[in-house]
Amino acid sequence: MSAPLLSVRGLTARFRAGGREVTAVDDVSFDVGEGEVLGLVGESGSGKSVTLRSLLRLLPSGARVEGQALWQGRDLVAMPDARLRRVRGGAISMIFQEPMTALNPVLPVRVQIEESLRAHTALDRAGRRARARELLDLVGIPDAARRLDEYPHQFSGGMRQRAMIAIALASEPRLLLADEPTTALDVTIQDQILKLILDLKDRLGMSVVLVTHDLGVVAETCSRMAVMYAGRIVEQGGVREVFASPRHAYTLGLLGSVPRAGTERSALRSIEGTPPGLAAIPPGCAFNPRCAFATTVCREVRPDLSPRTPGHLAACHHSDRVAQASLAA
Amino acid sequence: MTDAAHLEAAVAAGRPRRARPPGPLVWGGAILGLSLFLAAAPSLVAPYDPLAFDYGAILQPPSPAHPFGTDNFGRDVLSRVIHAYRIDMGIAVFATVVPFVLGTLVGAVVGYAGGLAETVFGRVVDAVITFPFLVLVIAIVSVLGPGLINMYIAVSLVGWVFYARIVASEVKVQKRLDYAEAGRAMGYTHARIVLRHLLPNAITPAIVYWMTDMALAILLGSSLGYLGLGAQPPAAEWGVQIAEGKNFMATAWWISVFPGAAIVVTGLGFSLLGDGLAALLRVRR
Repeated sequence: MSAPLLSVRGLTARFRAGGREVTAVDDVSFDVGEGEVLGLVGESGSGKSVTLRSLLRLLPSGARVEGQALWQGRDLVAMPDARLRRVRGGAISMIFQEPMTALNPVLPVRVQIEESLRAHTALDRAGRRARARELLDLVGIPDAARRLDEYPHQFSGGMRQRAMIAIALASEPRLLLADEPTTALDVTIQDQILKLILDLKDRLGMSVVLVTHDLGVVAETCSRMAVMYAGRIVEQGGVREVFASPRHAYTLGLLGSVPRAGTERSALRSIEGTPPGLAAIPPGCAFNPRCAFATTVCREVRPDLSPRTPGHLAACHHSDRVAQASLAA
Repeated sequence: MTDAAHLEAAVAAGRPRRARPPGPLVWGGAILGLSLFLAAAPSLVAPYDPLAFDYGAILQPPSPAHPFGTDNFGRDVLSRVIHAYRIDMGIAVFATVVPFVLGTLVGAVVGYAGGLAETVFGRVVDAVITFPFLVLVIAIVSVLGPGLINMYIAVSLVGWVFYARIVASEVKVQKRLDYAEAGRAMGYTHARIVLRHLLPNAITPAIVYWMTDMALAILLGSSLGYLGLGAQPPAAEWGVQIAEGKNFMATAWWISVFPGAAIVVTGLGFSLLGDGLAALLRVRR
């Protein structure tokens, strides 16, 4: 792989909550290559969304971000605010989970697209008008010329997410951060939006970081994936390898909880227990209280994220046993 | 036309059906439209000069020649009530526009910034609302001296706090919504996010309060006029007129009652407009 577009090293995000400090993202490292779609997977509260927001420092005041996020030779984490503002929505754009609320309800869609163009391009007034229309066309909104002057409440959920994508793409970003972009949508619409994102990625030559809790979405869209649990990446690798032979007990559990077509009917397994709260992450491997493979070492020593096969990393003391179990299953 | 027919007509026209404006809005708008007309061109309607003495017609009860009667100098009460629209509508606007603009901006900044700014602002609010509004205004006017301009200054010094409090709390809610975060993710400046995105979403309650406040300002202006701290005699102003008539309440009630009625009607107009606007803006959400 050539030099990655974005290289994240030791990213850590801490919040003050109820007088004490909790770590929502703990020492997270990953790379995003040119034209790649990286899936960031995990349950609610695993820190995947916070990781994404930390990259652009979009966290509430009082949050502290450490580590490095190298973007074209510059560190996003240490960059001055004014400079970072030009990157936000410029070279790196973001789309959100709730298209219902991520658009300003009192401004027509045209105004919101043109505003992004004004902030990040040198187009004049007429140029922005024309481009806004092209963008709505590009994201597949029919009758774009007329719909431009409508308000967000006149758009359906899927349409709003398309409009949101049009705004994010106005600056022709190199990297799109997508925070659960399909979670709030109908299943049929989800599929359309994912296809749209993939299609636009190819046409515009972007990379994408896709945060989701839906393994089906990852299988369908991503080339590589990172699984997060309790603020840490526990497994990372090519989607094919990870799905075929997971090396972390948590990933194995996740995969076991998803129905698979084309195989013999079997009962779905759920993972016992619930993820730990950020204030009470167990010592050792954070997953050990819920893990069928756990031994004494898991309760005492935190496993490092290390390569198991080339390009496939896992943070598990028993990754070989997990791999065998997954083959047996 | 029935609802179904309405709907069909709207669909045929290819645009969503427009809701009828709420009744209070229509009535409030009508009252205030008339008031504004009287304020703009009182001489067109008033039958007499509001300041002209007529010693041949002192303390006349209402009659065809003087529908609202005359006062103790023989001035026509109807003409004075009509000419007073200019001063009192002026008070409604000028005593509230500075607090509205200033308070809205301060509230937006405070609500967005939070932290220390919010703490300091909270103490200022406490300090201001500890005193009854009228008492505080009278205290400031008595320092500055009586007169309309000083009254505007006094009301502005105190009144912005209420707007700022409304807007600050609303901005605090709005800034946590996704579109505000999306604005930050798009690389917009704080000023742009506050002015362009948060404020239009947060300003509705302040506008509604503004309408109510205009009614209160007329009451306040009349009260200060009555107390001799606002508009000064012989100017035609409702509060001044009521004060002039108070010695004749038993014998010539019309001197005070008609200006009083004008205050009530105009205040009602502003309140109706405020209610109507609130309903209209709520529907649009």
